[in-house]
Parts: sequence; C-alpha cells; structure tokens
Amino acid sequence: MSGSMTPALALSLRRYGFGLAILVVLLIANVVMNPARFHPAAWGTLLGMAAPLIGAALASAPVIMAGRGGIDISVGPAMGLVNAVVILLFVHGGIASPWLLWPVALLLGAGIGAINGFLATVVRIQPIVATLGTYLILTGLTLTILPAPLGPAPGWLRSLSGVWSFAPLGVIALCWWGLSRTPFLGQLMAVGSDDRAAYTAGVNVTGVRFLAYVIGGLLVGAAAMMLTALIGSADPKVGTNYTMIAIAAVALGGVSLAGGRGGLIGAAIGAIDIFLLQSLLTAFNVSTYVLQVAYGAVLVLAVVLMALQDRPTKRSHA
Amino acid sequence: MAEALTFNAADLVLREGAAPFRQVFTPGEIVGLAGLDGHGQDRFLRVMAGLDQAPGRVSLEMSGKSHPIAGFRDAERQRIVYVPRDRRSTGIFPDLSILDNFAIATPEADRRFGLISRKARLARYMHWKERLKIVAPSPDAPITALSGGNQQKVLLARALARNPRVLLLNDPTRGVDVATRHVLYDLFRELAAEGMALVILSSEIEEVLLLCNRLIVFRDHQVSAELSGEAMQSEAVIAAMFGRAA
Repeated sequence: MSGSMTPALALSLRRYGFGLAILVVLLIANVVMNPARFHPAAWGTLLGMAAPLIGAALASAPVIMAGRGGIDISVGPAMGLVNAVVILLFVHGGIASPWLLWPVALLLGAGIGAINGFLATVVRIQPIVATLGTYLILTGLTLTILPAPLGPAPGWLRSLSGVWSFAPLGVIALCWWGLSRTPFLGQLMAVGSDDRAAYTAGVNVTGVRFLAYVIGGLLVGAAAMMLTALIGSADPKVGTNYTMIAIAAVALGGVSLAGGRGGLIGAAIGAIDIFLLQSLLTAFNVSTYVLQVAYGAVLVLAVVLMALQDRPTKRSHA
Repeated sequence: MAEALTFNAADLVLREGAAPFRQVFTPGEIVGLAGLDGHGQDRFLRVMAGLDQAPGRVSLEMSGKSHPIAGFRDAERQRIVYVPRDRRSTGIFPDLSILDNFAIATPEADRRFGLISRKARLARYMHWKERLKIVAPSPDAPITALSGGNQQKVLLARALARNPRVLLLNDPTRGVDVATRHVLYDLFRELAAEGMALVILSSEIEEVLLLCNRLIVFRDHQVSAELSGEAMQSEAVIAAMFGRAA
C-alpha cells in the first residue's frame, strides 16, 4: 500500500494511470496548439463531438470484461442501424416523441446484444466470429433500409449534442453505479477473471456473459442516439467506423482484452484519449491515413506498457 | 444438532470395470479420502460435488425425502459445497480484492433494499476473518497479497458463508504452513461438532489419521479399505493404498 492511499484508489490509479496520463498530456497539447477550439467555453461542444465514441467504447467494454475472448465487433454497425431506424421513424413514420424514440433505440440495441449473446454464450460460437456475422448482417441491413443519408433529426435530439450530451453519459454513469451495487458486476469481474473458479463458486457463468452482451447492446442504443444527435441525421455508412476505434479506446483505457480487469471509467478515458489525439493531429492538418497510423502506434505502445506494468504482480502470485 | 440427513452414494462406478460401492456420510463426522494420486478419490469427491458424472446414484436424504444430486446445480441447491484443490486455477480470482473473493458465492446475503451494502458485506467478512483467524491487511487489498495459507482461509470462508450441510474439501491443507494447518483442523472439528458432514481428501496420511473419524482408501478407482477407530494406522493405510493385505 503506497502511503495513505487506500488500496482501491492505488489499484484504479495503476489501472487507469496510463490512460489518464495520456489524457492530461494530450489535453495540454491541444489547448496550447489549438487555443480557439479548446477554449474552456467550447468544452461542451467538444464533449458532444466525443460522445458517440465514448458511447461506443462503453458499449464494447462489458463483453470484453466478461472474458474468454468476449468481444463485440458489431457495435459500430449496430449503432448505424439504430441511427437509421430512429431517423426513418421520425422522417417517414412521423414519430417525434423522445418517449418513443429512446425506448426504440435502447430496445433495438438490447435486442441485437441479446442475439450476439445468444450466439456467443448459448450456441457457443466464438464471439469474434458470431459478432462478425452480425457485423455483416447489420451493415447490409442498414444499407437496405436506408441507401442514402437522410435527415433531419428531431429538434430535441439535435439539442442533445454539445453540452447536453453529458445528460445521457451521466445517466449511463448512474446506471453503472447502480449495477455495481448489485451482484452482477462482481460476478462479471469474477467470470472475466477466471470462469472455472466462478463456476465452482456457484456463479451462473453463461447467464452473466449473456447479460454482458445485453447491457452492451443497451449502451449501443444510447451511443447511437448520441451519434444521431451529433450528426443530426442518419448516415448508413457512419456507424461501422466505430467498431475498431472503440476497441482501441477500451484497450487504451486499461480494460484487459483477456477479461476481468478494468471498467467503464477506463473505457471512457480511452475514448477521450483517442478523441484528443484525433483533434491534435487534425490541428496539424495531418491526413486521415496518418491518423490511423497514430491510433495504431499509441494503442500498441499502451498495451505493451500495461503488460510491462502487470508483469511484477503476475510473478508475485505465480 | 442440524437436521437428520445422510449424504449417500449408491452403486457408484468410478471407472468402467471398477467395482461399484456405496458410501453414507452423516452430520458430525469427518471422513477422510486417501489413496495414491489418480486412484479415484479425486474423481469420487468431484462426483459427490456434482462436478463430474459417473454411473450410480448420489443423493441427499433428508427428513424422509430423497434429493438426487445429478449435477452441480443440484449440489448447490442442497448446500453441498466443494472447495477445489488447485486454488490458483480454480479457486481465487487474482484480480479481485479479498472482500470480493470472499463474497462472490453469496452476493445476495449483502443486499439491503435491493442494493449491495458494503457494510453488511464487511460485517460478514469480519465474522469469518475472526473465526478463521485470517491474517490480512485491508479487505480491499488484492487477494494475491496474502500468503497461501490465508488465501486458502478466504476460500474456506467463501464456502462456509454458503452455510453448507456437507463440506467437500479437496486437499485443503496443500501448500499451507503448519500453524495454519492446526487452525484449520480445529475449525473442521468445530464444524463437525456443529452438525456439518465433512469429507476431506488429503495427500498426507498423518493428516487424515489425526483428523478423521473414518477413512476410505482408494485403489484402482475402487474402495480398497475402510478404516475406523483402532484400525486407523498408517501401516494399514499404506498397505491399502498399494493393494496389499495389511
């Protein structure tokens, strides 16, 4: 235990420290290089721009935390489908009420999550293969129901971009905190850490993993609404981009892809890191190709550093 | 004393061609399982825990009713609790804290108005910490900060928190220091006196001779000898392990 710090705090610093350090460095760099865009008054707008990526990263996290190769690569296309359905309902169906569109988005997301969860945990297809299947299905489905971009989004939804995007993110944080006070989160970490031990301890391993997919799906629904708020329309091609970048954000935020480690806070930090990196490089007029190189380099570096950091603890209980 | 119950195995065949056998375990007794490694005692314990299948019937008879144990969920429901042998690969969660490692099997016990109360969880943990004399820093420290013996005590606390009727222990003192062993022996005797049925697999003959009321020795996946009272001598156990007449 380091000094007066509680072990829990020390542990989360260890876990999130790297993502947080990058966050601080990139934030300072952005403020210095691009003072107009990063003026404190504009931080609300920036949050709105980062919100869909944060949402996508949050949606990817629970399944990864559940371990045994758990991953949901259909997050991006699922966001695309929800985005398309919501705008189609508004433009062609005349449904504008948030009391209808929000439940539709969340239920659609949860439904997709349930299908992924069923394939991965009950049928026991490898998660990456199962969700690759849904990735392709959802991409095609979205383009079928919405071949070209369509707008606009309802007024209330567009006003949810900018400063107000903290509202859905805040609700997610609150719900996750609530979840941490139920047996589920502890069981999720246990299953991710060691599923055989979890089974022997009486945890319903399949049920917990399935629920992780459904919760991820709910978060996909929320992320898709934040995306819709940001772009103010539906674009059948925008969703797919989010899958890989969200997984990168999750890894950067200290969530172990082997499961059992990290949490939603880490995923959010990782997403903000990626967003800041993007902003910084765009400020330098770097091409989008180089941008991808930068994401990849930072990700690999982060994962290597975290592995080095974990090595001494591994040895101590070997 | 607890409810009148017996935990039975009938016509159990641990390997094709092995002789079927029956066993009855009753509350208050500590039964030892011995044998050379891989001679069926480990499999027997896992079958009794519902973690492994074998031809035959395992059941818990209680107040005139028979509850078959066909799988792990049945065992769980009847509070037949198994503590695995290899605590590193199937016991502890190295990423979780001591407190969470303790509470993972019994989260419902900590619910207050639907939500988990940390206070309730800590109180439960402190009860077992004292009873098992767990030497640990803060309950929030990772479990890997503990010595092997104390990790084993946390695992035992996890199992005991389920309030078992039958406790199946797979080599519980493996890699545990002598002082801790004696704490565990005293605990096992107390639990038996309180009316729990204990079945202990041990790789050390001295241990089962010291601790158990009755001893089942396995050889070639069948029961090679059953010893109790005066007959429980290490020569007899060794003879049975190697399949010689004592």
